[in-house]
Amino acid sequence: MDVAISTLLSPIILFFALGMFAALLRSQMSVPEAFAKGLAIYLMMAIGLKGGVEMSKNPLTLDIMLVLLAGIVLSFLIPALAYLLLRLTTKLDQTNAAATAAHYGSISIVTFVAATEAVRLSGLDSGGHLVAVAALMETPAIITALYLASRGQKRSEPVAGSEQGELVREVFLNASIVVLVGALAIGWIAGEEGTASIQPFFVGLFQGVLCLFLLDMGLSAGRGLRQGWRQLTAAIVGFGLYMPLISAVIAAGTAYILGMPPGDAALLITLTASASYIAVPAAMRLALPEAKPSIYLTLSLGVTFPFNVTIGIPIYIYLALLINGQG
Amino acid sequence: MTKYLQIELIIERMAHKRACRVLESAGMTGYTVFPAMAGYGGSKRWSRDTDISASADMVSIVSIGDEDKVRNTMDEIASLLGAHIGIVTLTEVEVMRPGRF
Repeated sequence: MDVAISTLLSPIILFFALGMFAALLRSQMSVPEAFAKGLAIYLMMAIGLKGGVEMSKNPLTLDIMLVLLAGIVLSFLIPALAYLLLRLTTKLDQTNAAATAAHYGSISIVTFVAATEAVRLSGLDSGGHLVAVAALMETPAIITALYLASRGQKRSEPVAGSEQGELVREVFLNASIVVLVGALAIGWIAGEEGTASIQPFFVGLFQGVLCLFLLDMGLSAGRGLRQGWRQLTAAIVGFGLYMPLISAVIAAGTAYILGMPPGDAALLITLTASASYIAVPAAMRLALPEAKPSIYLTLSLGVTFPFNVTIGIPIYIYLALLINGQG
Repeated sequence: MTKYLQIELIIERMAHKRACRVLESAGMTGYTVFPAMAGYGGSKRWSRDTDISASADMVSIVSIGDEDKVRNTMDEIASLLGAHIGIVTLTEVEVMRPGRF
C-alpha cells in the first residue's frame, strides 16, 4: 500500500496526471515537438548508460542470459494471446487484432523508466541487464503480429514505392533501439570510472527531465484519448485494461521460475505488461497499413499507458514482492 | 502547348518515402514535402502533438510535371493510397519556367 501511495504521489506521476488533465480539459499547453523528442533521446541515453554501467560491475552469468531469453520469448508469445483475446472479445478483424496485439507484446520504454524510479523509491535494487531485456523485447512481437495478420491470407503485392529492407530498418534500427542499445554498450565499455564525468548530466538531471517528459506524455495520452475515444468500444477499452494484468501474471510466473529478485522481477513484469506506442505504431504503418492507428494507438497510448504508470506499476511491484515471499 | 498538372498528395508521414519513390521513378523532376499540423478525417481529429511516435502524422507532397508524366504516376499512386491513409488531387497550373519540368 505504501508503495502504491508513494508511486502515485511521486512528482513524476503527478506531472503525468497534470498533463493528462490539461489535455482532457482542452488546455492549449504544449511541449514543443522537437524538444519532446530531445527529452526522449536523453532519457533513453540515461537509462541505457545506467544499465551498461551496472552490467559492467558484474560478469554476464547464465541467470542473466536466461532473463534475456525469457524477455524475447515473452515478447514473441504475448501477442498470440492478445490476438486470441481480441478476436474472442472484440469485433476487430484479423489485421486490426494482429496490429493491436503487436503493441501489447512489445514494450513502452517510458513505462519502464517510470517503473525503475518506482522500484528505486520502494528501496529495491534492480540489475542493469533489464535495460537489455527492454531493448530485446521491442521487436519479436512485431514478427508474431505479422505472422498472425498474414495467416490464411493470400500473399499480397508489395505496396507501390515500397523498398526492400525498409521494414527491417524501421523495426531493428528505430531511434529507441539504436540509442538504448548504443548507450548500454557505451556504459558497459566505459564502466563507472569512464562515465563519472558525464554522471552529473545523466544522473543528476534525470528525474527533472523525466517529470518534464511525463508532462508531455500526459498531454499526448490525454489528447489521443480525447480525439480517438469514439473508435474504441467498451470491449476494446476493457482489453486495454485487463491485458496488462494478464501479461503481468505470466511475467510474474516467469520471474518466479527464474528466481529473480524483487527489483528485477518488478521491471520484467512491467516490461511485459507495458504496451508500445513508439516503435510498433511506426512499424505497423509500414507493414500493415490497412490496420487503423486510431484503434491501436489510442488504446495503447490513451488507455494502457496511463493505467500502467498510475495503477499498474504499484501492482507489478507488489506481484514481484509476492513471488519473493515479501508481499 | 504543353499542359502542366500539379499533383498534391496528403499522405501519412510513414508512407511519404514510398510516395516520393513513385514520383521519382515516374520521372517527375522535383517535389516538395510539407508537414501538416492537424486535421480531421475518418471521424477522427488528429494533430502532430498527440502522437509521440509521429506514426499518425500527415504530410503534404506537391509536385508539378507535364500532363503525360503526371498521369503516368496515377496507377502507382492509386495503389499506394489503396493501402495508406491519404488523398490526392490534380490541378492544372501555369508554370513560369517550363524547361524545369
